[in-house]
Amino acid sequence: MKIAVLYVGSSLLAPLRNAEQEINRRHGLDLRVVAHNFGAVFSDEEWSGIETDLRDTDVVFVIHVMDGENAARLIALLDQYRKRHRAVVVMNCMPALMKRTRLGRLNFARLPRIGSRKGAKTQNNEAAEGAESLDARNATTLLRSIGSWIGRQARSKSSENGAKGHARAQYLKFADRLPSLLRFVPSAGALRDVKNYLMLFCYFLQPSPRNIRSMLLYALKHYLDDERVRRVEIPAPESLPIIGIYHTDASSLFESFDAYRSWYGARRTKTKDQRSMTKADALDPKSTIGLLLMRPQIVSDARKHYDGLIRAIEAEGLSVMPIISTLMDNREACEKFFLQREEAGSGEQPAANLSCDFVDLDLQSIKETIHENTRNKIESRARVSQIVSLTGFSFVGGPAMNDSEASANFLAEINIPYRSLVSLDTQTIESWRESFTGLNPVQTGMQVAIPEIDGATAPLVFGGISERGVEPAPLEDRCRRVARRLKRWNHLQTARRDHLKVALVLYCFPPNKGNIGTAADLDVLASLVDLLAQLKKDGYRVDVPERVDELRSKLLDGNSESFGATANVTYRMNVDEYLRLCPFAEEIEAEWGRAPGTINSIDGDLLIQGIMLGNIFVGVQPTFGYEDDPMRLLMSKGGTPHHGFAAFYTYLEKVFKADAVVNVGTHGAMEFMPGKQVGLSSECWPDRLIGELPNIYIYSVNNPSEGTIAKRRSYAELISYLTPPIENAGLYKGLAALKDSIMAYRTSTDEPERARLFQSIEECSRELNLNLDQAGASHPS
Amino acid sequence: MNPKETATERDARVTRLYEQLVEIEQRLIPTGLHVFGRASELQEKADLLRMVASFDRSEHGARALPRLIAEALGVDSYDALLHETSASETREMIDGIVAEAVRQFCEDGVETAGDWLNSKAGVDREESRPTFLLLAKVAEQLDSNNEIDSLVRALRGEYIRPGPGSDIVQNPFVLPTGRNTHAVNPYSVPSQMAFARAERTADALLRRYFDEHGRYPRALALVLWGLDNIKTHGEGVAQALWLLGVRPVRDALNRATEIEVIPLEQLRRPRIDVVITVSGIFRDLFTPTMALLDKAVRRVATLDEPLDMNYVRRNVLEKINANDAKGEQAGRLRTQERNVSAKVDAGGFEFDDAVTRVFSNAPGNYGTNVNFMVMQSAWENDATLGDLFVTRKCFAYTRDSKGRSVEGREARGLMDDALSLVEATYQNIDSFEVGITDVDHYFEYLGGISKAVETRAKSRPSIYLSDSLSPQTKIRSLEETVRLETRAKTLNPKWYEGMLKHGFRGVAEIENHVANTFGWSATANAVDPWIYTEISQTFLLDTMMLNRLRELNPHSLKSLVRRLLEAHDRGFWNPDEEILERLRDIIEGGA
Repeated sequence: MKIAVLYVGSSLLAPLRNAEQEINRRHGLDLRVVAHNFGAVFSDEEWSGIETDLRDTDVVFVIHVMDGENAARLIALLDQYRKRHRAVVVMNCMPALMKRTRLGRLNFARLPRIGSRKGAKTQNNEAAEGAESLDARNATTLLRSIGSWIGRQARSKSSENGAKGHARAQYLKFADRLPSLLRFVPSAGALRDVKNYLMLFCYFLQPSPRNIRSMLLYALKHYLDDERVRRVEIPAPESLPIIGIYHTDASSLFESFDAYRSWYGARRTKTKDQRSMTKADALDPKSTIGLLLMRPQIVSDARKHYDGLIRAIEAEGLSVMPIISTLMDNREACEKFFLQREEAGSGEQPAANLSCDFVDLDLQSIKETIHENTRNKIESRARVSQIVSLTGFSFVGGPAMNDSEASANFLAEINIPYRSLVSLDTQTIESWRESFTGLNPVQTGMQVAIPEIDGATAPLVFGGISERGVEPAPLEDRCRRVARRLKRWNHLQTARRDHLKVALVLYCFPPNKGNIGTAADLDVLASLVDLLAQLKKDGYRVDVPERVDELRSKLLDGNSESFGATANVTYRMNVDEYLRLCPFAEEIEAEWGRAPGTINSIDGDLLIQGIMLGNIFVGVQPTFGYEDDPMRLLMSKGGTPHHGFAAFYTYLEKVFKADAVVNVGTHGAMEFMPGKQVGLSSECWPDRLIGELPNIYIYSVNNPSEGTIAKRRSYAELISYLTPPIENAGLYKGLAALKDSIMAYRTSTDEPERARLFQSIEECSRELNLNLDQAGASHPS
Repeated sequence: MNPKETATERDARVTRLYEQLVEIEQRLIPTGLHVFGRASELQEKADLLRMVASFDRSEHGARALPRLIAEALGVDSYDALLHETSASETREMIDGIVAEAVRQFCEDGVETAGDWLNSKAGVDREESRPTFLLLAKVAEQLDSNNEIDSLVRALRGEYIRPGPGSDIVQNPFVLPTGRNTHAVNPYSVPSQMAFARAERTADALLRRYFDEHGRYPRALALVLWGLDNIKTHGEGVAQALWLLGVRPVRDALNRATEIEVIPLEQLRRPRIDVVITVSGIFRDLFTPTMALLDKAVRRVATLDEPLDMNYVRRNVLEKINANDAKGEQAGRLRTQERNVSAKVDAGGFEFDDAVTRVFSNAPGNYGTNVNFMVMQSAWENDATLGDLFVTRKCFAYTRDSKGRSVEGREARGLMDDALSLVEATYQNIDSFEVGITDVDHYFEYLGGISKAVETRAKSRPSIYLSDSLSPQTKIRSLEETVRLETRAKTLNPKWYEGMLKHGFRGVAEIENHVANTFGWSATANAVDPWIYTEISQTFLLDTMMLNRLRELNPHSLKSLVRRLLEAHDRGFWNPDEEILERLRDIIEGGA
């Protein structure tokens, strides 16, 4: 016997493999489970492999397939081998696929009104009414509702009422109750197959290893005419908490913060390598990172990548609070675990009384409750210093839509940074490593572009499944980078301002003195004076120049002449120091020759340009370095930055010891250095150069595209700036005079005068070269 | 003057000239630079607000004032007016009412403006109210600024709210600034609105080419950037689809992943072949969109249609044919043609090559370097810049014959071949804020590809740009656009005095504009000599101005003069010796 599972995601493969083994062992079967991850578009070769599997399979499960092209080809195959398949079970897929569900006498294609909006509305009420006694009518209604929720959710984004979308997202909640409801449904007769589908759905919703095993067995038992399985006892779906706190070292989930805190404290005290941390500050909000985990990963026990990240964060001396959420809407879990309610005794009250009975119950009330809590939250404060989402989905919305406004409103209330990291769910670690592109388009769209709209930053990759693996594993070096970057940001939150060192980075392109402070639409030096004054007011140790001229002369002139440099030289880094401090120097030498090279250097030293104003360094970023070596322009793809460029960032990190970098204006060169496009590795230059430094980028609001490159490739947080005033061009000089003549011509009724005016108009327009356009002249030759 | 010229002809010429002046006069230009953290230094908000009020904003329930007025006055349609020159008086009348209404708003607020508009044009107060409320919000947000506060908060590790990125006119939601700008969901482009607007632009582009050449171009080279496609939700992409005669189809999750062919009867013109060069940034931000474009070209190539109505298929067949002819005996063309047709329909290796149309940089690399080469004066002959463009951009993003996606395969030969068919090049301009002489990227891309086409097709292509942000979609030749930009900005006292208020940086901006203008000479020979002469006169031959520039930023002044001398050296400009003398004197430090 054979089951084919066509799925998207990283959590299912391990439980499937495990189920195959266990089922065969316990029941002495010859079950084969074949699985294909539909996360990316397949090649023809891969399709023929899938076809081979579908040709002789008994049961087909299709799960989470949303890609139109894959779906279209899959539908063709399902239709082609229709006769061979005893059962086709489609769950949480796009509507066209849902209609392929076929179990005994149940055929989704023949269910009326699947996916119809009008239908969906009436179903809600029916389903709610029928919640207590699931009879024939509302069982099918429920089925319809499950069959079409993905499509409806996708559409609800464009509709005015986005609330419906995430209300529906609470569908998980009814998983708990469904099995008990299903008890009332007869196992024979017209409803038999409806009930079976719903049972399979229940197992799937809680994809623990046991439930996945049961799901497969259940399908075999009911749809395979085979003695060996007919009498197998299958346990009812086991259920785990919908939300809770997870930890690598704990044996079960925590359902309250207090429980987690006491466990965490005890563990800290027991741990040998503890860092003089008392029980009380083990979960100090200032150094606790909040993680959002995917529930299926936890339930399915496919969580090594999470464990790796958790350990990496703890290795930096930080605490973690990893929570699982419904993944459709993270607000409830965040409210419950990440927020400390200040009103006496209310700390452990559930954030919202979510007694959600049914998948399609109108959940307006939940929204209101949450809203109310949001209003009260003036009294609450965060138990974590940053929120890091590992779900790969929008903070509010889930896979099929995103309510970014709701996300941003919620996150702005908590007012701590929000990061969204990437787990390689639809490509292997190897393919990511080898790829020059980095993430495939599906992941870039889903796991990077959409979270960005919620205000997420720093889209680092932290784990994934390798070609031979069956479950996700952490990428150790990436986890370490993430953890250290988080630590740096925490430091910015807590350090005394007068202890912080900040590098303000300017550009100069093309490189000459006249261009220092290059930035689209921004008067950089004037901006700097204001900015420095504000930093001083905020407590930073900074010498604020009194006027723009003073700043300019310090920066442009200073000692620049003695070095033949564009700007003042603040530091000479000798080659030994450079080779010692910059771990990439050798690689750069292969490309640009022996250090220091000819750019930003003198007498064997590398020159760091800029001025030191107290704890604030105003630095000038080197350029790509083409000007000294035009031949490099001709290369079709890039190798490495030059020594001077690497030295600049080495200086920031290791000599100046910056706590943060602020890039002043649109835009510099660093984020365009060679490497993967998105989802960078430790081989990529922007990742190497920015290293662990928090990066803030003052960026023109009218340039979201290049700004996004900075955001994705150099982990920048953008602060948009206004574009200059816009006014009508108006007319001037000869153009203004010409218009006057034309007006006179148009109003004059005196023919000889008009003739004279016309002549002068003609002459004038020739003088002004306006006749070129009129004649439709193509181009000067 | 030609004495035979009739009064009507004269009037028509004057009217055209008048409209040309109005075009310059009303063009929106930036008048200065922004200082981080300061409120807008806009002296006169009316011009900007008038543009904001010229578009429907369904998300605010606000309608365009010109449309409301046209409706109230019983004029058929303001959109139609925009495209009829004969109706220019009615249009002027409506524009005049809009201007006055916005002026009243600036002085006395929402209620007064609504009342006035009601009494003047009979526009229902309730209908105009949302528009004036939107203007009030924009005006208020321009008067305050949180940028520095946001920066200080970011340094304290607080949450920075996300916000869209765009021109203010395009999307007033970009206010307030001081937010964490984001891009868009790549699967959401092209939006319905973008697709609708693109039809007009694509039509206007083809009409313009047809008017000038008496036929349609057999292939167009398009430049697509991330910038405008984010801001317009994919107008550039949609224009390419229109040229091919296909429309995007959304899947059940509302993602544009499929295409549908528009029948020829409906299209009523040939399908135009397109060679699409996308920026590295577009490639990163819109990977699924590149696949959509590739899919569209392939689909069109396999349509069984007359070759004189489907230029993609014709070009693909000819290429396969030429390859075959190389290998086999020439002759037996007819059989071969059938064979070739079969090959196209079957897909396969040769077909994949012949149909490759989407190019970009090597993965993880950006830019054409043409701008660097021009800025450094590092090119020797004409062809170098075009060759450099191809070197950097000849990476094909498509599928191989096995259906696997190809992430940037170096395919210089394919790009050379594709460009050799091109008769016109084009780029969509979506912004008042960023024009073709404001940044070096326009000449690097549109200029670079035009030069590449020129040497490969053995003929200089016609070069066009659109002005897709104006309510009135307009196609201009590159030369016209350079003139318009130069008149509205570089030579315009309102523009350069605005820059010079910023002293040092202002001079650098002027110098950059001249360098970018020079870029259009270098890549496309599209700058009239008078432009260089006027630049010299405005900034260098006027002693007062020269001294100001020298005082403020002698470094940029020198660069500017050197650039003009280079324009002369390279034969783009041949001024009087006297002018050259004066320029050389400046470099040598004389007066």
